[in-house]
Amino acid sequence: MTTRGIDYDRLTLKDAFDLAILVEEEARDRYEELAAQLTLHHTPAAAGFFTKMTGIEEKHRQQLQVEREKKFGSEPRSIQVELLYDIEAPGYDEVRAFMSLGDALRTALASEVKAHAFFTEAVRNVKDPDAKALFSELCEEELEHQALVKAELAKLDPTPNGNPNDYSDDPVAL
Amino acid sequence: MNAPAFQAKDFKSDLKPIWCPGCGDFGVLQGLYRALAAIGRPPHEIAFISGIGCSSRIPGYTTAYGFNSVHGRSLPIAQGVKLANPDLLVVVAGGDGDGFSIGGGHVAHAIRRNTDLTYLVMDNQVYGLTKGQLSPTAPRGLQTVTSPLGSLEEPINPLLYVLAYGAGFVAQATPADMPGMTALIEEAIRYPGFSFVNIQSPCVTFGEDDQQLKAHKAKMKTLASLGHDSANQLKAMDLARAYGTELYTGVFYRNPNPPPTYDALIRLRQAEQSKKAVPRNRILDAYLQK
Repeated sequence: MTTRGIDYDRLTLKDAFDLAILVEEEARDRYEELAAQLTLHHTPAAAGFFTKMTGIEEKHRQQLQVEREKKFGSEPRSIQVELLYDIEAPGYDEVRAFMSLGDALRTALASEVKAHAFFTEAVRNVKDPDAKALFSELCEEELEHQALVKAELAKLDPTPNGNPNDYSDDPVAL
Repeated sequence: MNAPAFQAKDFKSDLKPIWCPGCGDFGVLQGLYRALAAIGRPPHEIAFISGIGCSSRIPGYTTAYGFNSVHGRSLPIAQGVKLANPDLLVVVAGGDGDGFSIGGGHVAHAIRRNTDLTYLVMDNQVYGLTKGQLSPTAPRGLQTVTSPLGSLEEPINPLLYVLAYGAGFVAQATPADMPGMTALIEEAIRYPGFSFVNIQSPCVTFGEDDQQLKAHKAKMKTLASLGHDSANQLKAMDLARAYGTELYTGVFYRNPNPPPTYDALIRLRQAEQSKKAVPRNRILDAYLQK
């Protein structure tokens, strides 16, 4: 999780909304990409879960977008996605072909933890009180999301269902 | 802050990458989209040229012009593209095998001509697309399908190779540091002349565990943190010798006085020659004795 050049001293409530929307957009797009990768590489359970996460992140984005429009109409964004890297989006190296559903859930959980850390840091650094309140709210939401993923994990059969390396696509010449 | 003319998604094509999940090239591609957005040129003013290999699939994943060409021949083709249309921003992408084995002979000539293009090598120390053979940057001792008892060869050092031939811009990056890598790609593209970025992009299927992104995060050191002066070519060569043992990221060398590019010189030559142009029906006069 990294950011480049976010100026928290000058961040307004509109910027805070835009930042949060971009975080959700990045996560949505990444889950969509990961689902496509895993579908292509015969990992349907994890792919299905990531598709579900795509929908969830899009729903969060829309909720934030509605709130933003209520307050600021269609005023253009002044925050760009280039400032954000993997805030709530799982890293590309977090997935593997044949990963289990449990591993996919743990990847999503780690991403929710990252997002919580990001918003906690944002609350600490931002000066605008309204922006601070929004980030605090988002911090709480990230904790709720973590709880939801943990609940899903608890429902899984704890019996290990194989090592992904058992299925690796090694050359037959060996 | 003004909204940029382009966003990263403007450079993303509808084609889904088929790389193995976890491959370093996904991060490189994402960084590339963002670097291009920062550059601000529209996709139709950009051409991606590649050879053969996993990373050579990049042209298809962008909305720019692209040519996924033949193995090891990306640089000659890219130079031709640049000379034919100097207004294009030309980016060459490929792997270490494509660039430093079958295409190794072309690198020196692209550098000495100093054609204005950017060469991104996704260095994973293995031939991934053909299922894990020894590549030119593979470390001594590496066991692969073509070196089952361990490689007996010293690897090529791509950084030292391009520095020795006089490349004007030489950098190394890893997708483990996305902002750093993106900034380096952008800087390389903006450099007026031949620029080279060696991107340590791990092969998740055939690569070693200590070459994966998590290991990169733990061991990478930025050249800036070492206080390296990127105008110091000899120091750059000294630091580049650590390839394979240290993971240095950043700009090794940037020529503070970039010489004219080959494409610029060609245009100048064409302009000079066109002044002496004669009508087509008088062209044979030049060969007749007066």
